[in-house]
Amino acid sequence: MSARAKASAAPPPAYLRIAARRMLAVSPVIRFCLAPGDRSLVAPGQPIEAGTPMAERTLDVDITDAGRLGNNGAPPPAAAPTASPALPTPVWKSGPVPLDTPSPRPAEPARQEESQERRSPPVPGKWWVGGDERRGRAQGRKEARMRVAGTLLYELDGRWRVAAGERQEVMFAPTSGVVVEARNGIAITLEAAGAAIVGVLAGGTPSRGRLDVPKLVDGELGPLTLDVSKAGSIVVAGGRISAETLTRARAMNVRGMIAGSLGSGELRDLAASEARQRAGLHDLPSFGVMALDGHQTRPIASPILTLLTSLAGREVAIVTDPPLLVLDAMDVPLPQLPPDWVRVRSGPHAGHEGRWVSSAGLRRFKAGIHLEAANVRLGEDNDTTVVALADLERFIF
Amino acid sequence: MPASAGTEALLLGLVDRVRQVDQALLEEVAVLEKPKPEAVVADLTRLEAHSSPPKRIAVIAGSKRQLRRLEEVSARAGWLITGGSADDQDAIDLSRLLLSPETHAVILGSDPVPGGDEKRHLQMLGALVSAAARSRPELAVVLAGGAAALEPLFLAAGSAVKLTDVPGARDADRDKLEDRGLPSTGPHSVLIAPDAESGMPAGSALQQVLEGLRSRADDSRLAIARSTRSLAYVLDRSIETVEVGLNGGLRSRAEPFGPGHRSIVESHGIMALGSFSPVDPSDEVIDGVLSWSTVAFDRQRLADRLLDLRLWPWGEAEGEGALLRLAAAKAAVSRLVDSTPEISLREMPDVLIAGGGIWSSTPASVVALAMADLVRRPGVSLLTCDQARMLGPLGNIPDEDERRLMLRDLTSDVLMSLGTLILPSGIRQGRSAGRMRVSGGVVNSDIDLQPGGIWSVELAPGQTATAEMDFKDAVRLTTRGKRFSLEVAGGLGGLFVDLRDIPLRMPDRADLKRSTWEAWQRAMWPEIDE
Repeated sequence: MSARAKASAAPPPAYLRIAARRMLAVSPVIRFCLAPGDRSLVAPGQPIEAGTPMAERTLDVDITDAGRLGNNGAPPPAAAPTASPALPTPVWKSGPVPLDTPSPRPAEPARQEESQERRSPPVPGKWWVGGDERRGRAQGRKEARMRVAGTLLYELDGRWRVAAGERQEVMFAPTSGVVVEARNGIAITLEAAGAAIVGVLAGGTPSRGRLDVPKLVDGELGPLTLDVSKAGSIVVAGGRISAETLTRARAMNVRGMIAGSLGSGELRDLAASEARQRAGLHDLPSFGVMALDGHQTRPIASPILTLLTSLAGREVAIVTDPPLLVLDAMDVPLPQLPPDWVRVRSGPHAGHEGRWVSSAGLRRFKAGIHLEAANVRLGEDNDTTVVALADLERFIF
Repeated sequence: MPASAGTEALLLGLVDRVRQVDQALLEEVAVLEKPKPEAVVADLTRLEAHSSPPKRIAVIAGSKRQLRRLEEVSARAGWLITGGSADDQDAIDLSRLLLSPETHAVILGSDPVPGGDEKRHLQMLGALVSAAARSRPELAVVLAGGAAALEPLFLAAGSAVKLTDVPGARDADRDKLEDRGLPSTGPHSVLIAPDAESGMPAGSALQQVLEGLRSRADDSRLAIARSTRSLAYVLDRSIETVEVGLNGGLRSRAEPFGPGHRSIVESHGIMALGSFSPVDPSDEVIDGVLSWSTVAFDRQRLADRLLDLRLWPWGEAEGEGALLRLAAAKAAVSRLVDSTPEISLREMPDVLIAGGGIWSSTPASVVALAMADLVRRPGVSLLTCDQARMLGPLGNIPDEDERRLMLRDLTSDVLMSLGTLILPSGIRQGRSAGRMRVSGGVVNSDIDLQPGGIWSVELAPGQTATAEMDFKDAVRLTTRGKRFSLEVAGGLGGLFVDLRDIPLRMPDRADLKRSTWEAWQRAMWPEIDE
């Protein structure tokens, strides 16, 4: 980190009873879920760069009878390997590579390793490429044979069933890091190389782009304009993203959006739209959304907005599990905060920020509810406001 | 004090407060002169309980009938459920459930002698689950009922642990699988478990196995169930506890086997859906909260607020937020009550305990009203609240005798009395049902009992009184009759007489339902308009 928050004085003990909100995660571990039929193209321990082909997803996955495979009758291995230490052979068909991602660097395993991979005994999750089995094609028709590929599911009566399909798409790494775990049909976990801004919820797919922050007017975000100039970028959208904004952003080929909050309805619509496109076997451009605070409308906290503004123009990535904005680098210019800075995250003063003054003890609030409280000076106000302790948050890095 | 503040900061604040109020007490506890709060916090013996984080189990069966049974038992053991049956879903869909990193365990079950509808699928399901266990060694596998015959499929993948091989594994007092050396989530842990109908009540044997598999060693909900059992022994009374938290909820009942018996009969259900803000709330959950709410929310806004409540469970506990929290808690208790029908069939308990942080900040009379709304059986019950949430930590005292001793000493401190609830059934609508005279101590009231209402009589904690009730028609209370003389204890809310229907009959229209709730609530919560 290039800078540290200024700590002119140690915070009082009562201040520490306020829930701490961590703004940054260093080298977070990120998970990319796979499904039956999907395979990993990376191996544990392998360092990868953003844009590296990471996995191959089978879009039209269906159950296929692969017949008897390999060493039937021999005892199976004790456990499925987490992933072959040898890099798998990428077998995706030539297809368009997203313009905003660095050109893929297909792994080039040695021929010997390739054959070793083929010769390894069949185990659940192993990649399988179809031989004579062809689904949906009448016998004897002379047309180009489509490759059927997928992962082994289970063996019954000596015959293997496979989750396989004819169409595969490649998933590229949205950020650089080191692969922690890679298992076909299950998940790939990656330890990111850089720091990340922590969100609370995310939707869509992992995506990467240039961080676009609208100009600040009086310390607040100016109006959001979405046009083709935002294509390929991840846009900071302000307090909340509406369904219309999401639709427009996707139409403009925006890669992602960040906001203070995101409604559950918008997230559900986004998921449904993606599901429809997947069902239609359309290529899905990556698009992710992330909320920093929750579902109800909140402005972005000023320390995070300052951080985002200082990062404008950099390549960043939105990942969904966990919700993070990954920065690819550790040299993050941290905002300088007074040691007693607080933000109201819920309740009648939600979104306001200010300075902690003193503990107010047990106070009676609306509806006769008694809660532990603090005296807080919000904004430029000289008067103190009594805020329930549970409605406050403080920032840590 | 919000739990989000962190344990050490909370303890420091608490000790500091004790120091300000009673320095001598602190010195006595710390066995030091002028002890520093930091030193006291570091030295004090701690008894901790934590709710286990939600975990997901994939329920796999050969038929929809079996799937439903297994899902019910798994839900009562506190698991989040994803389920699939072979007659409804193909192997790809079932594999997705098993291979998802969100899935922590899988249960494959059938009848002890599998029926024709499930028998034809069992081999395929066994192969599928065995393959998933080989791909994901961290996946805990439970083979229930007749599915245990598939065990050889798993032996190739690793060592299976037979539940029946573990001494006392099916004892009623068994608390944790790992206590007896069972690897609950270790590599290739395959448990052979009873079917979904075994035990009394049906499914309780499998429920125990699944609870042990899910829970951490100091799980608060299992601990509260243990405390409830110990309290029933100590007080020699029937106890029912309803606890609602962020990660789930608990309904537990314990009572002496009969007069003069020292044995305690216990039954409980722990549900992830018993949370006041469940993970991924379904439409049914949203509808449930709406039906208990006195505030008109649109569904979308309510969903957003519920989800934010999950993110910040202690936030916005005042004003409208308090009303939302109350509606969410009542909806959660309602789900718990629906999922534990065997407890609802029992008589009204002598003592009803409300547990969970959401009740701690709510006025006592409102908590009492909520309990009266939700636990509706004819009878007389002492309503209490585990305000300091002590039942969890005390339930984690491993020695039963020591736990009973501790509870005997602390009962009056642990259980904050809300008052006595008198809940008769069989009241005829439309005219005065009779009269009630309360006498004793400083209380002297005479009430005309009008059907359909709920009254509270001021009766302070520690006070007792005699309630003489004369009904015009025979009603059911402790027994069936017209005249009753009851010894009642006071509480923060006083004495409650509830002459509303059992079960409650509410208008169908949402606005009328809201106004009905509001009218009853306002009577008990006059500060609501502040």
